[in-house]
Amino acid sequence: MTPDPDDLRGRLRRAGELLREFYEGRHRGALARSRRDEDDLFMLLVLSETMGIPNPASYYTLELLPLLYDRFHEWHLRMGMEHSPLEGFRCC
Amino acid sequence: MTPSSSFPGFLREPGGPRILFIGGKGGVGKTTTASALALELARSGRRCLLVSTDPAHSLGDVFGIRLGPRPKRLREGLLAMELDPDEEVGRYLDQVRENMQGLVRPAMYHEIERQLELSRQAPGAVEAATMDRISRLMAQATGPTSRGREWDVLVFDTAPTGHTLRLLALPEIMAAWTEGLLRRRDRSDAWGRALERLSGGRAGERAGEGDELSYIDEVGSELPSDDDRSHRIREVLLERRRSFTRARRLLLDPAMTAFIWVLIPEKLPILESEKAVHTLAEHRVPVVGMVVNRVLPAGELGAFLEARRAQEEAYLARIGESFAQIPRVHVPLLARDVEGVETLERIGRILMGDETTAPPPT
Ligand SMILES: Nc1ncnc2c1ncn2[C@@H]1O[C@H](COP(=O)(O)OP(=O)(O)OP(=O)(O)O)[C@@H](O)[C@H]1O
Ligand SMILES: [Mg+2]
Repeated sequence: MTPDPDDLRGRLRRAGELLREFYEGRHRGALARSRRDEDDLFMLLVLSETMGIPNPASYYTLELLPLLYDRFHEWHLRMGMEHSPLEGFRCC
Repeated sequence: MTPSSSFPGFLREPGGPRILFIGGKGGVGKTTTASALALELARSGRRCLLVSTDPAHSLGDVFGIRLGPRPKRLREGLLAMELDPDEEVGRYLDQVRENMQGLVRPAMYHEIERQLELSRQAPGAVEAATMDRISRLMAQATGPTSRGREWDVLVFDTAPTGHTLRLLALPEIMAAWTEGLLRRRDRSDAWGRALERLSGGRAGERAGEGDELSYIDEVGSELPSDDDRSHRIREVLLERRRSFTRARRLLLDPAMTAFIWVLIPEKLPILESEKAVHTLAEHRVPVVGMVVNRVLPAGELGAFLEARRAQEEAYLARIGESFAQIPRVHVPLLARDVEGVETLERIGRILMGDETTAPPPT
């Protein structure tokens, strides 16, 4: 029985899509992780003083805190700190 | 006997610098010099705002008047104030608090509030707040007079050396720091854009351009998206960089700003001044002149003070060598402490060379 060419084309297309999804998915994951790492580092730089690393600019970082707090809890968990490292900030 | 060029006479000219910093070691006569100079400038038609940046204020005492963080009129053409860093910090925290609305879940307000209160005591807060205020005043000095500004020249009576040098270095350090953070944001945003391209469109649910404030209507329900947040973080950093860069530019502009160094002819003040003037030169802050204060007056002083004078002459020679390039003016040691407008005016005349011979000590 000769294979139905339409069916083959259909199946190939389908396989191609799966492959693309697979690779893009991994790629997307890598990009998203890179961005998150970058943002984590940024958070660390901004919060350094409160965590005991001297930061000459700590006063000026206060105005950034409201923009960062929303991500703070996830951040300190990701950084391997079970509890909030900020003295005055108890998110958990 | 005054080694002189056009300093300090040129300070009186209408086109002269609009921002004067008076610096020096503790107790050498900064407050005295700043006050005398401001009075003299006011007299010659350049209206002054005299500002004490020293946390241990003594400006009010010299005039026998209680001063605060708002300009007070001392006489025609002369306003004075003493900065209050605590009040500045408070105002800043209020602003942060206000901006917080709509950015964080109300449930977190309390925690953030605690964090802000702790920051009040954070190291560097007072200094940063002082620098903020100074740079806003400097910006005002260069702006149009039409904005209700009642003065032409800013005269800063600064805190002793170390404090002031750190303060002046701040804009440079901060600009570099902000630059670093902005680069991190650039990288984060670049990853974000790559992610968007991969998904063949806008990945984030970025709020429509031009209506970044739209979420304010929906406080509590809808917090800004990641992209929106990122955008606002960048805005905050850019604004900071703008103001640090502006302060730095004004500080280094010899047409705008003049730094006047005060010292006395004694060993330690000379050593400290050598270091400080060197540091200022490294930071390219223009030192336009020096005031050598408390020089023993001319005339017969008696055996005890004549012995001192011999020592003083050696120190004056050292000053002449170390600061050969910087115009200097001498102010004699007076019989009494400097207090009240009359004595200050007399010192002003001496500074300007209008009264060269000091009357015999009383
Ligand atoms: N030429 C002078 N003759 C006599 N006394 C002087 C003279 N100049 C200043 N004084 C006195 O010396 C003391 C210190 O002066 P002043 O307050 O101006 O110094 P300062 O550098 O501002 O000090 P601080 O570092 O504490 O702010 C004051 O009591 C002042 O009256
Ligand atoms: Mg003083």
